[in-house]
Amino acid sequence: MPNMVMPLLRNEVTKAIRTKLPYFGLFAASLVCLLAFVVTRETGGQNLNAWGYISLSMQLVFTDIGLIFIAIFSAMLIAEETGFRTVRTILSTPISRWEFYMTKVLTGLLYAGVMSIISLAISLCLGLLNYKFGDVTDSMGLIYGQKEVLGNFLLAFFLSWIPLMAVVTYGVFISTIVRKSGQAVAVTIGTIYVIDLTKHIIGIDSYIFTRYIGYPWRVFNQVAQGVDYQWSPEIWKMVTMSLIYCFVTFAAGLLIFAKRDFNG
Amino acid sequence: MNHDDIALRLDDVCKSFGRIRAVDHLSIEVHPGEMVGFLGPNGAGKSTALYMASRLVRPSAGKIEIFGHDVWKDFKEAIRYVGIMAEMPSFYEYLSARKNLELMARLRFDANRSQIDAILEKIGLFERRNDKVATYSHGMKQRLGLGMALIGSPKLLILDEPTNGMDPEGTREILNFLKEKITNDGLTVFVSSHLLYEVEEYCDRVFVINHGRLIASGKVKEILAPHENVLHVTFHDTTVNIESLLHEDGIELVESLSNNSVVITLKNRDSVWLNKLLLNRGYKVSALTPKQKTLKEFFLSVTGENNNA
Repeated sequence: MPNMVMPLLRNEVTKAIRTKLPYFGLFAASLVCLLAFVVTRETGGQNLNAWGYISLSMQLVFTDIGLIFIAIFSAMLIAEETGFRTVRTILSTPISRWEFYMTKVLTGLLYAGVMSIISLAISLCLGLLNYKFGDVTDSMGLIYGQKEVLGNFLLAFFLSWIPLMAVVTYGVFISTIVRKSGQAVAVTIGTIYVIDLTKHIIGIDSYIFTRYIGYPWRVFNQVAQGVDYQWSPEIWKMVTMSLIYCFVTFAAGLLIFAKRDFNG
Repeated sequence: MNHDDIALRLDDVCKSFGRIRAVDHLSIEVHPGEMVGFLGPNGAGKSTALYMASRLVRPSAGKIEIFGHDVWKDFKEAIRYVGIMAEMPSFYEYLSARKNLELMARLRFDANRSQIDAILEKIGLFERRNDKVATYSHGMKQRLGLGMALIGSPKLLILDEPTNGMDPEGTREILNFLKEKITNDGLTVFVSSHLLYEVEEYCDRVFVINHGRLIASGKVKEILAPHENVLHVTFHDTTVNIESLLHEDGIELVESLSNNSVVITLKNRDSVWLNKLLLNRGYKVSALTPKQKTLKEFFLSVTGENNNA
């Protein structure tokens, strides 16, 4: 039997491009990039290079508005199908439950990826308008060559996807256990913010994946500023914690979804 | 009989939701090319049984096979040639009927996208195919639900209240279409309905369940065979003296339908005996026919309650 993930993913894309939420999220992320551009230009932008602006812009997008929209989008993926009972129609075709669940996770990841690429593209375009790409220098001369900066930029860009994967799998997990899309969104955003606000107080900060969402861009910002930067060991913590969250939420969500009765 | 020769087979299937046993040791066989009605009062377990056959609900015990393939062990093969319409079907309401059918066609191995227009014609939605489903009436959504089930040329249709909320003309149109598919393409239809006249007119066999248990089954023709001891008598003239007839040894019950028409239930006697008796009493009988059974009577007699199916 052919694998049905690709046809399902095509269906998900067909549906997503006909709804407003994904566009709204992309618009909001673009707006943040623009705001970051305006603010940095007005407040000491002359000391900033294009890399610095991009790292700041991407940090702002994904530690706040991007995170919210990716979480909302992911939290609606299964809950919307359950709430409106369209899940019954899909699951009574030759689709395995794991294929359905996997497709939902891939759809969330695709949206996070698209948001990340669009934000970066807009940041790059805006960066070109006012700043220079190139070596990182100061009055004493060269600090980091363009090749090293570009390498760190690409590393930051790809590493920033890892905690976003955890956001997606967490959202889809909540979407599985809460049957209405509105409630699933509220629970996902609510829990992320409650944990975010209390993690310092109860000393679990380094074990929460949301802490690492802007981390790669923070490190890259140090590169862009020409100061000493260090990926290790914090980046390993980020990768480990994010992947643990990904695995646990994915497995738990899939297990619950596979066992569930859809008789309502 | 080879299991491949059975379109749908539920073998000793049980389902409990907590302490509630929704389906209790249910065994059913549906053969290819027949239209089978599935009846039961509200809450009898009909939908749960249909959802188990569609793998939407996991049975607590028992086995379900579609064309010889186990629904849980070999789901893709089992469901390959099955079209399912759930009660109150749901759609992506922000998409058109055509787009909804296209999405469904992508998920069916044997679906041909050119089939979509033909299906839209058949279900009477071709003119409105590009309108958003959100603008459709309940009856139109029911039609679209049936259209979704027909994608991919299924050999078995499992339908839960398919004509619920449809106008009489539309209902007849859809049922005639299904009957035509059964005759021409050998389609098998397993349909749950609370409209007994529909089942009576279109189904070959019925299964009746109550409290999750199968309480009766049989061929519709046999179930509806005329009563041998219940006779419908029409007289030419006079008002019938029911009291006097009741005193006859061979008569159990006399029900008056109108001034010149009664239903008489006999005790160990036949219509010849009754005809003679009435002539001897001076009644001019214009018609004496065995009373036709109805599915409603059968249903009420087996479920023992005045509930809807």
